Formats: sequence, structure tokens, C-alpha cells
Amino acid sequence: MSDARAVILDRIERALRTARIPAVGDAGARAFQASDQRDAGARAFQASGVPLADRFVLEARALGVEVFVESTPEAARDRLRTLVAGLRVLSWNRDRLPYDCGAVVGEALPGSAPREEQAHADVGVTACHGAIAETGSLALISGPGCSRTVSLLPPWHIAVVRHEDLLATMGDFFLSRHDAMARAANCTFVTGPSRTADIELSLTVGVHGPGKVTVVLGP
Amino acid sequence: MSSDASGGFAQRAHDALGNRQLHIALDRTTAQLGMRRSTAVASLDNFDGVRDQARAAKMQVLRTLGDSLRRFEEQLIANGAHVHWADTGADANRIIVEIATRTGVRRVAKSKSMVSEETHLNGALEKAGIAVIETDLGEYIVQLANDRPSHIIAPIVHMTREQVGRVMHDRLAVPYSDDTQTLARYARERLREEFLQADMGLSGANFGVVENGTICLVTNEGNGRMVTTLPRVHVALMGIEKLVPTMADLDRFLKLLARSATGQKLTVYTTLIRGPRRAGDECGPEELHVVLLDNGRTNMLAGETAEILGCIRCGACLNACPVYRSVGGHAYGDVYPGPVGAIVTPGLRGLDRFAELPGASSLCGACRDVCPVRLDIPRMLLALRHQAVERTPQPFALRAGLKMFARVATRPRLYRAATALVRRALRARARNGWIAKAPGMASGWTAFRDLRAPAARTFEQQWRERQASRHRG
Repeated sequence: MSDARAVILDRIERALRTARIPAVGDAGARAFQASDQRDAGARAFQASGVPLADRFVLEARALGVEVFVESTPEAARDRLRTLVAGLRVLSWNRDRLPYDCGAVVGEALPGSAPREEQAHADVGVTACHGAIAETGSLALISGPGCSRTVSLLPPWHIAVVRHEDLLATMGDFFLSRHDAMARAANCTFVTGPSRTADIELSLTVGVHGPGKVTVVLGP
Repeated sequence: MSSDASGGFAQRAHDALGNRQLHIALDRTTAQLGMRRSTAVASLDNFDGVRDQARAAKMQVLRTLGDSLRRFEEQLIANGAHVHWADTGADANRIIVEIATRTGVRRVAKSKSMVSEETHLNGALEKAGIAVIETDLGEYIVQLANDRPSHIIAPIVHMTREQVGRVMHDRLAVPYSDDTQTLARYARERLREEFLQADMGLSGANFGVVENGTICLVTNEGNGRMVTTLPRVHVALMGIEKLVPTMADLDRFLKLLARSATGQKLTVYTTLIRGPRRAGDECGPEELHVVLLDNGRTNMLAGETAEILGCIRCGACLNACPVYRSVGGHAYGDVYPGPVGAIVTPGLRGLDRFAELPGASSLCGACRDVCPVRLDIPRMLLALRHQAVERTPQPFALRAGLKMFARVATRPRLYRAATALVRRALRARARNGWIAKAPGMASGWTAFRDLRAPAARTFEQQWRERQASRHRG
């Protein structure tokens, strides 16, 4: 195998002597050098003056995400309680949920439960590590107590989002969550419910992931 | 699922043109995808600026491909992944079968991977006694129907929903339905068990980030998350060209990819993988393997078509291409169809076997216009046509004819006299402004299309008259 490595790398060096790779114009080259600065999208966003929460709610709803905007921690907690009443709940660990929502999902299955049990849950409850206003996405970083299965196996995913989780763009998220991402095995952006359009482009939700996504946006 | 060069492109295209079902299916989808793309592109400020940046990043990666790969490998290893290098498709398959054997894998669940189609991985796994199942809805139906995908992002674009319903009815013993919601539910129920039972998840990679060894995978259905989360071993099979330099670049490519492919702002699930499960994680694979595949890519890098290695497989050029929209993906005879396939397939499989493909284009340039990386596809198609002609001895009549044409075309007075003659002859044959059948050697041209009758007066004559009347005026 190390053989193949040497062969391929050697072939690349020889190929590059005759490769026709188009020169990049000035605009492209400048952008390339400035690639680690705050991205243009985020700056434009700031200039537009639209509140992050408004944009996030707009984008998420356009994707078919159900959004509840709550003004107090109590209201967010009550909302969650109403939503999951009587259901089999799978959840991130209690201490990972904001607004003491852990109390609401006290009896929930944890992400460490046997897979078959998790697969039969009605709803998965998570917080998030970032909510991207530009695209209505939820960013979930894996780690102890934050099992990826919770937002994946049940047919319904509820995320409790704090106002301070809101970020303008994915580029912003990459910069501000750099260290947390480096520590984790996995970071997933959830942008709406699971969907497919493989058959004649006809939109079908809930293929493998949750077909329903709900956001409780707190203060 | 072998590549099928039998009969050649012309024969397969001819067959496809007579396939009514295929036309219904293609009409229902390609135009739609094209329109969705246009709308999505408009939703991004400075789309063209982002394209310039993405192009710059890809060309930079290609210029430094050796160093980029070394750095990427270093980062992957630091993240806890195992890295394998595969010279050919067969080598990649052997490496993956070995990993499966060593770790006692019996069942493999796959998310969509064009590269695994390229290497015919499924056959290799099955030969080794390992069960393998496709989990992307389209690919699953392809597998059930024992068919081949015909579009990079919409594998069963060639099938109507009625056909899909019959395949599921026949193979899964479920009641027939042509309701897409029901068909998707059948797949969900069947595949859920597969995800939970699989020992190995196999994926491709949409992007590999050089600076930190991140593997980025996008899926709409969630199967990409399943196969990289539930099984105890994850293997990512990727071409050596799939790199982007930094996370900031990745951000830009993600903006372009979904918009160009399906008209979404972002794919539903964007998964960034930074290694196997970490201490304390409740899920995630215990082992992560990354297989870096050459399989002809360095050959492409060495020449005129190096630029095509910047392709991010969005499929926008397929939807825009008048040839693809008429003949579908199977006519191209291998796994990558459309304008990109007409360049990649000869590169991977040899120009000798696929010399016709670069000709499967009218060079209208629609592919270049929609390409998120601004790849100059028409230029590369012409370069390949040139190579194909140089390699093959041309018939005497053609060589003599071209020599004669060159002699006439370089003598203005002779040229004018000759064209006047031809013009008169053609106009005499025209019916309602069209010529259905040209005489003699020119009949080859009208075998596939009608010819517009020449205008009564040439452009040059009209121009001269116009200039003269202006002077008078």
C-alpha cells in the first residue's frame, strides 16, 4: 500500500510538468489569499440590518420546519412539555439541554440506550451548537451526552435553541466553533426535514432521517 | 454493472431517442432541475464571485496536488483515521474487501458514491461473500432493478414513477403503487433494518479539507448520516482530486454545490467527519478508513483535461446539455454521463474505447455557463476530439476533401465562386426553406438533421449593400 502511495505521488509530480491548469484571475487569487477572514456573506448580512432571529425563523419555516418563538425560559420549557407529552422520548443528556429542559424529558431514553430501543422512540430532543440564520440550519457537534442518533433515528426531531446560538452564516460558525469542532468526531448541519426527490423530482419528506423538525427558539 | 461501450454512443443514442418512456422521464426532470438552479443561484449575493473563488481554490489544489494530498493524509492520521492509497479501481476494491475481512464485516450499507460505481465495488464485495446494500433511494431502486444510474445526482432520472412502483412490487412483494410518498415509505421500512444491522458503512466524500483532514458528506435523505454513525467501521472512498484547501473554501463550495445540483441553498444534511468516535461518544464508528483513489486521474492531470479534476459532481451540466436531455445518461456507456462524462470517461477508461464521447456535444457552451467551478468544458471536448483524430488514421476521401477545402477557402475569389455554385445547388433542393437530403458526400450531414437552405444573398453582399445605402443616406 505504501507502494501505491509512492507511485501515485510520483505520477502526480510528473503529470504537473505537462498539466494544463488554467491561470486564475486576480479576483480569484485575492479571494484565495483572504480565505480565512470573516466571509463576505456574514458582512453583507450585518449590513442588511435584518435581526438574526427573524432571518432564521423565515428560512427554517421555508424549509418546512415548525418554529415556536418563546420569550422566557419557562415558556420554552412549557412548550417542550406540551410537544412531547405522552410520547416515547429519546434525548441528549439532561445537562446538555438549555432552560432546564432536562426536567421535562426526565424519563427519556439516553443516547447510550440500545439502538433498537432508540429506533422506536417517537421523538428526539436536542439542543444545538449553532443556528445558522442564512440557511435555517441547526449545527450539532457530537460528544458525550450529545449522541448523533437522537437527531437521526426518531421520525421527529425537536431542537431547543437559545437566542445566543444564532449565527449569521456557516462561515461564522466555522470560525467561532473552531475548537469545539476540532475536538469532536462529527459535526452535522441539519437544514430542514429529511427529504428525497429521486422519483421524478417529487418531494417526499422523512426518508431516512426525521420527516418532521421542530425548533423551540428561546430568549 | 460493468461499463458498456458496446454498439458505441451513436447506436445507444439512436436507441434512446426512440424510447418514449425515457423521454417522458427526462422531460419531467431535467428542465425542472435547470429552473430550480436558476432560482437558487439568484438567492446568493455575488454568485459569480463565489464561483471565481471556488475555481481559484480548485486550481490551486491541482497545482499543488502532491503536497495537498500529503498534508491531507497527515491531518487524517492525526484525527485517528487510517489512510489507504489505491492505484486502480481493482486495488481500491481489494483494500476495502481486506478491511471488511479483517474486521469481520458481514453486511455493508452504502450511501451514494459515484467512485464506488466507477470501481464496481458492489460486485467485488459480493464475490467475497459480503452483503452490500445501497441506501440512497435512487441507488436502492437501481440495485433492485439490476439497472445502472443515469444521472450523477438523480440516479433514476430515466425511470417514471410507474416503473419504480413495478420494480418495488416485483422485488419487495409490496402492493403496487405509483405514489412517491408510499414508495419512499417502502424503502424507509426496508432500509431501517439494514442500517441497524450493518457492520460497515461505505460512503464517498464530497470534499476533503486539506488544512484539517475533514471529510464532508452531503445527503438529503439522511442515509449518509446513518452509514457514518451506526456501523462500527466507516470507509470513505474518494478520488484524489476531491480536496479543498480550507474550511473557508468548503463554506463556498457548499454554497455552490446544492444550488447547482438541486436548487437548494444547502443540502439537508451536511456532515463533517473529523475521525472515528472519540472517548465518551455514544455512537460513531470505532474505525475510520479513507481510501484515496487514482484510477486514471493522474493521466488526466498530465494533459489538456487537467481542469476537469475540479469538477464537484453537481450534475448541472447534465441538466443544461441538449444532448443529455435528448439521450439520457445510459447512452454515454459508463458511470459519468453528460458533458462532464464525455471528458472524464475517456480519461478514466481510455480515449480509444470512448473516442465518440467528446463528439456527443454541440459545443453550445451551456455546460460552461452553469458550471459552479467555471470549467471550460467545450475547450476540453475540442482538445479530446483533436487527440482522437490525431490518433486514428482518417479515410483518404476525408483527407483529400479537407485538403481541397483548404485550398479553396484560402483563395477568396475561388471561394466566392465555389460557394455561389453550392448555394444555388442547395437552394434548388430546398422545400419550405429546409433540405431534408443532401446529395453525395454531404448526405452524411443530413442523415441526422435537416439543413437550412442558404439565404438568397450572402452576408457579405448584404453588408456591402447596407454600407452603400448608408453612404448615400
